[in-house]
Amino acid sequence: MSSYERRVAGKRLPRIDGIGKVTGKHVYAADFALPGMLFGKILRSSEAHARIRRLDVARALALPGVRTVLGAGDIPQIRFGTAIKDRTMFAQGEVRFRGEAIAAVAATSLEVAEAAVRAIEVEYEPLPAVFDPEEALLPGAPLVHAGWSDYQALPVFDREGNISGRSAIGDGDLEAGFAQSYRIYEHRFTTQHVHPGYTEPRAAVASWDGNGDVIVWSNTQLPFDMKNMLAEVLDLPASKVRVIVPGIGGGFGGKLRVGVEHYAAWLARKSRRPVKLITTSEEELTDAYPRQPTIVTLKTGVTRDGRLLARQGRVILDCGAFANSGPATAAIALQVLAGPYRTPHLAFEGIAVYTNKGATGSFRAPAGPMANFAVESQIDLIADDLGIDPLEFRLRNVYREGDKGPAGETLASVSIEECLRRAADSIGWSERKPLGKKGHSRGKGIACSWWLTTGGSSGVYVRINPDGTVTLVSGAVELGSGAITGAAQILAEELGVELAQINATDVDTHVSPYDYGAQGSRTAFSVGNACIAAARDLKRQIGALLAGQWNVPADSIRLEAGSVVSGEKRMSLADVAALSQRSGGGLISHGTAIQPMPVFDPNRVRHHPLPAWTSHSFHAHAVELSVDQVTGEVSIDRYVVAQDVGYAINPTYIEGQIEGGVAQGIGQTLSEEIVYDGGRVLNANLTDYKMPTMMDMPRVECILIEKPSVNGPYGAKGVGEPPCIQPPAAIANAVAAATGVRVQSLPITAEKIALRLAGKAGKDG
Amino acid sequence: MTRQALDLTINGESHQLAVEPHWSLLHVLRRELGMTGTKENCLEAECGVCTVLLDGKAVNACILLAEQCRGRSIVTIEGLGDPEHLHPLQSAFIEHGAVQCGYCIPAMILTAKSFLDERRGHVPSEAEVREALSGTLCRCTGYQKIVEAVIAAARQLNSWPEEARRAS
Repeated sequence: MSSYERRVAGKRLPRIDGIGKVTGKHVYAADFALPGMLFGKILRSSEAHARIRRLDVARALALPGVRTVLGAGDIPQIRFGTAIKDRTMFAQGEVRFRGEAIAAVAATSLEVAEAAVRAIEVEYEPLPAVFDPEEALLPGAPLVHAGWSDYQALPVFDREGNISGRSAIGDGDLEAGFAQSYRIYEHRFTTQHVHPGYTEPRAAVASWDGNGDVIVWSNTQLPFDMKNMLAEVLDLPASKVRVIVPGIGGGFGGKLRVGVEHYAAWLARKSRRPVKLITTSEEELTDAYPRQPTIVTLKTGVTRDGRLLARQGRVILDCGAFANSGPATAAIALQVLAGPYRTPHLAFEGIAVYTNKGATGSFRAPAGPMANFAVESQIDLIADDLGIDPLEFRLRNVYREGDKGPAGETLASVSIEECLRRAADSIGWSERKPLGKKGHSRGKGIACSWWLTTGGSSGVYVRINPDGTVTLVSGAVELGSGAITGAAQILAEELGVELAQINATDVDTHVSPYDYGAQGSRTAFSVGNACIAAARDLKRQIGALLAGQWNVPADSIRLEAGSVVSGEKRMSLADVAALSQRSGGGLISHGTAIQPMPVFDPNRVRHHPLPAWTSHSFHAHAVELSVDQVTGEVSIDRYVVAQDVGYAINPTYIEGQIEGGVAQGIGQTLSEEIVYDGGRVLNANLTDYKMPTMMDMPRVECILIEKPSVNGPYGAKGVGEPPCIQPPAAIANAVAAATGVRVQSLPITAEKIALRLAGKAGKDG
Repeated sequence: MTRQALDLTINGESHQLAVEPHWSLLHVLRRELGMTGTKENCLEAECGVCTVLLDGKAVNACILLAEQCRGRSIVTIEGLGDPEHLHPLQSAFIEHGAVQCGYCIPAMILTAKSFLDERRGHVPSEAEVREALSGTLCRCTGYQKIVEAVIAAARQLNSWPEEARRAS
């Protein structure tokens, strides 16, 4: 496979959905509309934890233009949730965070719907609330869910009271490891709530058809998961729910789970009219799926020559009022804490904790930036204390080919040393604290990590059309990453056609084959593998069709440059498709793919939903920055990423993933935070929630390393999530190198640095 | 209902509308006319995805009353190029990989057009492009390829004769 030059895969070709996007013709879910549709709006709690004593919708119902008002009493009381079924569509007698839905309205215009929501009367009786996850763990803390033990949950999670899930990974003899250590270091790090920041709000239009099926046009990342979840909440067989994703304006993990779809579907059912819901910025910043805040404590024992001997760590993850992906995220944090370092004795624990704040979710590389910030900050602290260069310290400890991973799995295609060396060379690591311009301190930082390529199955239908074009029907959504273009490049390569001949369709769960979904850095990888399987099957079909007719062996038949060829015989692919259509229904295939699970040691993991990573990738980031000695403002002079992508299916869009991921990482590091005061969000708007603009972003220099994976298409590895993992640690390390100020809480604002430079704040800023 | 008659000129075409006085241009474009190439998000001029050209200048349609556009010329992304005849900015965005989810892209392209039109004959520096386009948030790209696309389009447009450019 590696010996021949590829024509389509590996090339910097333009994406297949580009023209619709630059001309404004690409229809996103937020753009979607139906004739006669109503507009929905949600009434949200103004209390963080309270009993609802009275809910009166009479004034709202009386407003002209209001068609339906729904509250908890109007629909079946169905609990749903990813890990734990702990959430209902409307608060049932008790609200658990400020912003929780209490009622919903459908009206002839958004303005009327908003007026109706304001006209609903609610009386609350406040209940004791808990906002700090460490306080939530104390005996006697108010319970966010008094009835937690009655909830259905995935059996893997260990739950109790405010603990929505607890996982552990361990190996060796921790006490012996610490006893043998030359020095032991203990540190605490904290990270904040950050929003995925997709520019298209979450939106859905729901309509019920003549068969009693509900059709939901949504910008979900996971149409099949959405279909099942809606079936549950609507109390329908899944076959009666049809989810269509027209277009999606970014997701980053924030559009994995139900947001507005169930309200749209229920309002449409009751009003017998199509209903559209779209979130506001305020709703996004108070009731969405942001990255969880964490508190990470690490205790690390090392030898005199800088080898990691024993490591103990705990991640407390604040999942807010509902668990969603919190328990799994706390578990995945443990692999991020462990790797990419050899450690003979280790014990890590992850705890997801309920608080009376908004729910949280799986923002790009869930757990990655939080755990990596802790580990990679501490590595620098240790290296500096031992007088060892931080790069050298890392190189002494990183995984090597054939090492065992945290769950005892054997690691293959290990490239972390090359990533570190390439990033360090590029940034000019030999000079770690260059001279800054007047009034500025300058410094460099480095951080590395590893990440998985998520499994789950993919299916594609591929049809070769009688005009020579190829239709690709995938069950995976194109989020914007270019993953479907990447998969199409693989399909074009395999079928001997050009990329421009491939048309990909929108996902429609009534039509498209199942796919585990656009999540977990898996789309190009997994859909690409499914395309290879489909192409193989199509070649077999073509061989069977032509072998007899041409009187040649089926295995002599090849596809090249839009033709089918065997020796002197040649027929265009279009003609073969037409022939097949006349004689046997056409050239159509269902290709499928799934990654094999690695073998691991079950004794090393407890209550972990994802004990061993599949097709892991390695990466290192290096940054050079300047800090204003008075204001503490950080400006990034250079940012380098060396990432092992296995095989670069389309280098342009891989760079796009890296550049965009770093931008999100820089936002988390320097400026972004959903700020809570108790249970109230203080900055629920885009003026005060500060994402990086074009002027805040440096040029990101990308170094693509291609150490092939065993299971990826042409050796590819997952690409999308990793780039946002290392920016917090790399920047924290560079700020420390520049100024001597070590900030252990995100975000690393100018204010924190300035106060520390002026000697006016505590250890952690 | 207090609707007022309003004639709007959008992409060179006249539209006879009846609008509420408080309706924004964005509302009229998307809800009344179904012109959804202009995007909506924050509705308070922070994210920039609703950018259109008003008499050639980039403005946020979400905080502009439709009434304020009376007698003025509005250009939206639908008025720039069509799939068979892309504007050089549109082509450059595709060629340079500047498009990911694409939701901010109409705004980026229109802002870039207004910026380049103001300084014909000039190829902007990276810093100038970053300053000019910083009013629109993009969460996918990290902006680098957008900057590169705008500079490449500026070069292309500068090589055009003035009449062709005026018509673009």
